[in-house]
Amino acid sequence: MEMATATQTPPALTFPRAVFAAVAPHPFLQAHLSADKKSIRANGRTASEFRTPGINTGSLTHCNGSAVVRLGNTSVVCGVRAEILKEEDIAGTYAYAAHSADQDEEGEEEDDSEEVEGIRLLVPNVELATGSTPSHIPGTAPTTYAQTLITRLRNLLHSTCLLRASNLRILYKPSTNPENPDTEAETQLKGYWVLYLDIFFISIDGNAFDAAWISVLAALRDTLLPHAYFDEEYEGILCSDDSNEAHRLQLRGLPIPSTFAVFEGMREDDDDEDDVDWVLSDPDAFEEGVCRETVSVVVDCQGGKKGTRDLVIRRVEKSGGGVVGREMMAGLVKMSIDRWGVVEGVLSGKT
Amino acid sequence: MAMNTDRRRNNAPSGGTGAPVFARTIREPEYLENLRPSRSRGPNELRRIFLQTSIIPSASGSAYLEIPSSSPATSSTLIPPTSSLKITASIQGPKPLPRSAPFSPTLLLTTTVKFAPFATRHRRGYIRDSAERDLGVHLETALRGVIIGERWPKSGVDVVVTILEGDEDGWWGDSTSEGSATGSGWGLLNVLAGCITVASAAITDAGIDCVDVVCGGVAAITRNTESRQDKELARVLDPCPAEHKEVVAACVVGYLASRDEITEIWMKGDVGSDPDGLVEGATHAAVGSLAVVKEVLLEALQTKFQGQLEGNEGGLKRKAQDVEMTG
Repeated sequence: MEMATATQTPPALTFPRAVFAAVAPHPFLQAHLSADKKSIRANGRTASEFRTPGINTGSLTHCNGSAVVRLGNTSVVCGVRAEILKEEDIAGTYAYAAHSADQDEEGEEEDDSEEVEGIRLLVPNVELATGSTPSHIPGTAPTTYAQTLITRLRNLLHSTCLLRASNLRILYKPSTNPENPDTEAETQLKGYWVLYLDIFFISIDGNAFDAAWISVLAALRDTLLPHAYFDEEYEGILCSDDSNEAHRLQLRGLPIPSTFAVFEGMREDDDDEDDVDWVLSDPDAFEEGVCRETVSVVVDCQGGKKGTRDLVIRRVEKSGGGVVGREMMAGLVKMSIDRWGVVEGVLSGKT
Repeated sequence: MAMNTDRRRNNAPSGGTGAPVFARTIREPEYLENLRPSRSRGPNELRRIFLQTSIIPSASGSAYLEIPSSSPATSSTLIPPTSSLKITASIQGPKPLPRSAPFSPTLLLTTTVKFAPFATRHRRGYIRDSAERDLGVHLETALRGVIIGERWPKSGVDVVVTILEGDEDGWWGDSTSEGSATGSGWGLLNVLAGCITVASAAITDAGIDCVDVVCGGVAAITRNTESRQDKELARVLDPCPAEHKEVVAACVVGYLASRDEITEIWMKGDVGSDPDGLVEGATHAAVGSLAVVKEVLLEALQTKFQGQLEGNEGGLKRKAQDVEMTG
């Protein structure tokens, strides 16, 4: 800037927006947020405004379920592909107890997390190196960011117990009992459906986690598993290609994440009482670049009407700073409930 | 079937999994034949092409290409029908080469082609296989002849192509029952043609100087086994391998229409006495897709300028609200 004044340019030097944003991203965003009375972010949203997702399901031919989710300029494709794991190929020593399947129909919740997680019936993976962002160039191993992202998604899949093992089992009941012809034969486990969840980012503009999770949810809700049975003559598992016999997955609840980024403004000495920290909902890539503290709240309100009473907090992730305290967190949870309602509406095709 | 474990990704169960087998396809051969798709287009008629540019804002240029399957989808069966072609291309750069790189007087082009795991009937892995690397080299050859590389010394550009859904090598029923789909890899030619077209649109979107717009096109010689004369060979443009019982030869070109030049050619199979006819057919197919590319690029340019004009008009009003930095 000294050079500019030395050449006798006008005293006030102004930059175009794009240059200002590139040269000084932090003051740029702060100037936007502290301008006038109402703070508008550089992307035109208010601090607490989320981007409404756009969801398209069933567009991939070779998937049992698929979804394309757009969150502003972030777009992601998720394909769910079901393959069969035969009983003899199951690694480890998991023993299937026949009685648990009968009780399950009555809504009694069984603890099947060991089954789903232990045998690895869900195989989620994420690919960022599709030219979706300049920082992930293909040809290298998955970056730390990609590995963190998929670990968070996998943990959420397992900790919410989203999938029921009973949906994935392939059972067989012999017509006659070889040991004792008078009694009914025992139900045997012949295999499992293994779900491959492949998440491909087409474009990333911030908040990859929310977009990826919404795409997983939408794809799982779209998934149709063919009716699979053990065929005595074929001595293997066969499927029926009739779509009337196929079944959908019954998911446990509908956990939806809301991600926030905390923007810490530069404090000026004279008015340090002023509030210069902002919590930005659903940050875009530019905002993620200047914010250190992030909060992710996963809530599920499917148990009842939208409201704090029926709310279940499924997960809270917070890192990078200490601006968000207990009271602020309560406010963020409230915002997450509103967000849940919006996303749920889009997922079920209401809006 | 044990997959090699990749510690940076989530792996499948170590025992390995198999794709579902549908009972009716192995029990009832006539039901299987029922599902066989057939070509309803004329031999010189191309499939419809959908193209869109600037789908990735953070990339300097990008495009999405979709060629929907021409055979109607049946809702009665869960067996996936013939696939369509869905490809995205993203251009990162041109950007300066790292300091450690040796001097290059021209633009360094890097092309990466990757199939998504759900792109084909058989699930693919995340690590690039030889077919994908091969496609990458072919694509690079096709693009290298078009880009005016001398205008960007000491810089590099990444062309990343992701295939969300790829054409098949033949009808899936053939590979399980009789295995008459000889000389596989026909689908790759279609995929390459799509890659060339979509990458070319993305490069133009990125504003990289080119001598012309390169486009991909495929032609094939197919054998019609149903006809009376035993060896009835027919030349078709833009073949969908699943719709033909036997493909004898196929050819893909990267074609510059206004200069009448070919930057890339890949021919497979038993061409016979008239290889020129096949190449000519492929160029015709390329000209067909060029018409779409041109229209889309022109449209994108018009909206861009429209936006700029409006931006200039509203600029005065906007300026008052804009944040100014003084110094």
